[in-house]
Amino acid sequence: MLKDTLNKILDMAVQKFGAEYAEVRAQKLFKTMLTIKEEKVEAAKEGVENGAALRILVNGAWGFASVGSFDSETLVNAVSSACKMAKAASLKLKNPIKLVESKAIEDRVLAKPRKDPSKTPIEDKIGTTLAIAKTVLRHDSRIKSCTIDYLDLVGTSCFMNSEGTYIEQEKLYVWARIFVTAKEKDIFTFSREELGSTAGYEIFDVETPETVGERVAKRAVDQLRAKTPKGGTFPVVLGPNVVGVFVHEAFGHLAEADLTLSGSVLMDKLGRKVASEVVTIYDDGTVEGAFGSFKYDDEGVPAQKTLLIKDGVVVGLMHNRETAQKFNTQPTGNARAEDFRVEPIIRMRNTFMAPRDYSFEELIEDVKFGYYFKSFRGGQANLDGTFQVGVQEGYEIVKGEIGMPVRNASISGNTLETLHKVDAVGRDFELWPGRCGKGQTAFVCDGGPHIRVSEVLVGGGA
Amino acid sequence: MAALKDEEIISLAEAAVKYALKKGADEAEAFAYEGLTTTVAIERRQISKSSRIIDRGLGIRTVFKKAVGFSYTNILTDKAAIEEAVLKSLKSAKASRPDKEWQGFPCKKPLADVKNTFDKRICDLSSEELVKAASTMLEVAEKTDKRVFPVEGGIGASYLSKAIVNSNGVTSFDCGTLIECSLATVAQESGEVTPICFEFNLERIYKIDPEWVGAEAARQATSSLKARRVETKSMKVVFAHFALQQLLCYTLMEAIKADSVQRNQSALKGKIGEKVASDILTVYDDGLLEGGLRTWKFDGEGVPQQKTPIIRKGVLEGFVYDNYSARKEGKESTGNAFRAGYPSTPKVEVTNFHIAPGEKSPEELIGEIDEGLLVYSLQGAHSSNPASGEFSVVATPAWKIEKGRITHAVKGAMLAGNVFDAIKNVSELANNERKIWQLVAPWVLVENVKVIGK
Repeated sequence: MLKDTLNKILDMAVQKFGAEYAEVRAQKLFKTMLTIKEEKVEAAKEGVENGAALRILVNGAWGFASVGSFDSETLVNAVSSACKMAKAASLKLKNPIKLVESKAIEDRVLAKPRKDPSKTPIEDKIGTTLAIAKTVLRHDSRIKSCTIDYLDLVGTSCFMNSEGTYIEQEKLYVWARIFVTAKEKDIFTFSREELGSTAGYEIFDVETPETVGERVAKRAVDQLRAKTPKGGTFPVVLGPNVVGVFVHEAFGHLAEADLTLSGSVLMDKLGRKVASEVVTIYDDGTVEGAFGSFKYDDEGVPAQKTLLIKDGVVVGLMHNRETAQKFNTQPTGNARAEDFRVEPIIRMRNTFMAPRDYSFEELIEDVKFGYYFKSFRGGQANLDGTFQVGVQEGYEIVKGEIGMPVRNASISGNTLETLHKVDAVGRDFELWPGRCGKGQTAFVCDGGPHIRVSEVLVGGGA
Repeated sequence: MAALKDEEIISLAEAAVKYALKKGADEAEAFAYEGLTTTVAIERRQISKSSRIIDRGLGIRTVFKKAVGFSYTNILTDKAAIEEAVLKSLKSAKASRPDKEWQGFPCKKPLADVKNTFDKRICDLSSEELVKAASTMLEVAEKTDKRVFPVEGGIGASYLSKAIVNSNGVTSFDCGTLIECSLATVAQESGEVTPICFEFNLERIYKIDPEWVGAEAARQATSSLKARRVETKSMKVVFAHFALQQLLCYTLMEAIKADSVQRNQSALKGKIGEKVASDILTVYDDGLLEGGLRTWKFDGEGVPQQKTPIIRKGVLEGFVYDNYSARKEGKESTGNAFRAGYPSTPKVEVTNFHIAPGEKSPEELIGEIDEGLLVYSLQGAHSSNPASGEFSVVATPAWKIEKGRITHAVKGAMLAGNVFDAIKNVSELANNERKIWQLVAPWVLVENVKVIGK
């Protein structure tokens, strides 16, 4: 019945308002959220939201409308509003927007969790998160606080467009973030970690409360005895978690075709060498159960494994149907919208550097003095290729061996210069879940092996 | 689509609270929200998108034997959906664990008076008018210099309304407007791309200047070209508005939240009455600031917002509280419970974090600096350590100041330090106060900041 209504409003967009293209996403989402502070449940939360997003191309400009209802009258109003918005936007248009062709698809995608979070009682979720908090707080008396946010989201997203595509996709996400602080005299440290999966609640069978709690707590406590790094240029070995954020922030955003077109430093680099030949980077929407995976994106395009850098050469970008048309290429399935309140934009999925052949020992053995950065705290990049990655767990490397922990370090530089300085790539591999902000939030993973960078600017403490 | 009437939105909240009590909740609170937003977006040198977003919903907190449950729904047309949300909230409360320190929802108090938070002209703007303003902004930016490339931006007009009802007699309604015009640009010349330069106007009343935003975003981009590296050394740094907002919101603003203090996450704990900052620094959290971006009659729990002294002439005077953290200390809430929307529960946040301005013009301030940096924006501020105040960030865009003049753009300069040292080292405040989201402040000069250049 919903399908008929959606069909009707898309017909209206095309026939009554003369739209070149129209799409609608109707979603119903159920969320469970918990906030734990120390061993206290601040609030147990369960909510439901539903709504429809209409995106319509008229006279080469986009109109978008979002409403929190599937009611037929509301949707009819929304489609007329979206068309009106598109016409207003087209008033000053210089280059009309066109979409690359995309095959019409009809499909129904079911989530197949081993443990369905929507069937897991909220008492169990409270129990699991409190067990993490308990592990953290029992770890050491210098641990002062532990905040845990938990979220699971299940629901259905129906996508239909005026070209014959109709996809019903079940959504499933389980996510938690643990934030721990420790204090000794005047020294404050903190440590954070995120878990995330599209497989199911079974993530806690592997990442048990004890494993996760110990890991986060130990890091906060270890930093209490850490020293601040010297500022300056040093060789560094980066762990998979830091490589991930580097690949995502410093390189990935520049390879989102909308940002490339906006003048990112990759603009005229397609087919050119931008990194040392040991660097190969993918953005992959198909890793089973990974936090950034899905079958179809929010334009109805199948997700795929997209090769971005092959042996140091840029071979691809991440596209939606609009940018793919501009680059005369295929869409890559990177158009994602956080929910029905927002339009799809180009986002990463699971972004990583491919492993090669070094062992960890081989990576560090030739470093006389440098740093090993194991876990990141945050990262950010700019279109000109300037990046910054803050480090929450790092160590000195002295004469080829891991030394004292360092606190409050960060690395910065120019992405392309730094990619050229990657001189060895490890053979291990890890993917880490996270959330990426680009006006809206997307669930992603990033990762890779351990790597060595011959030199990078390290920002030290005060 | 027309906005819901005051009575309609209040009665939704009232009905939810009444139903919760009927179903056995010890206490209940409902937050009803409506947001109507129209935007016109600029993408890569042209206006190519426009949107209309209608978002309504209701969040309900219930308490059962001192355990708090919450639920929300955006299905408001259906009484059964609201009742289901109430039941879910109560079910969550029953599944949760009691909190011995829970001392109830706030009680009714007279609401505060606020000025310039609503402007009917913003509600009445048509998308054609927004397109016209956006197009003016774009044309000005492009006309300034042909090396300028407007990346993204646009104009957005919003109407927001909210009601809070609780079982202690609170029944409050407020509505307001927001209008924003913004432009992000880069400049490109012979292979060099500048960092993103961002400028905006964000106001509660219809008083924006798209031409200024366009011209200023373009000016910043062209003057960011030909950037050079700087030497590693400690020097004076002028934090312009955005950079200051980025630096403080992950550190100092965290440290003054009662929740952080009570949970040993604040370096300011136990320092009330002590000197924590430079003599010239005076800060209020001003929830009533005229036209303030976070000015409302009441906070996320229905408590009247107020003006709270935080730092007076360098001495720490107080923290900001929501109802829970205040009652824990036997105090009254300062009206700092913040809701990110109806799908979430309130948490402690600053309202308008107001740093009192100084007397010097920005030109005079720069004129007295022998060697330093002028920093417009920071990259990586979110990776600061909120507990210790340590930061290690990239200054971009930024310019070198030599002998009282801005000489050239700077690239790749990192700033490292501790925000609690930085506020002690503030030596000058300019007179150019501006609202940047939750911060209202002038340019601030900090002595002796470690700059890592090459």
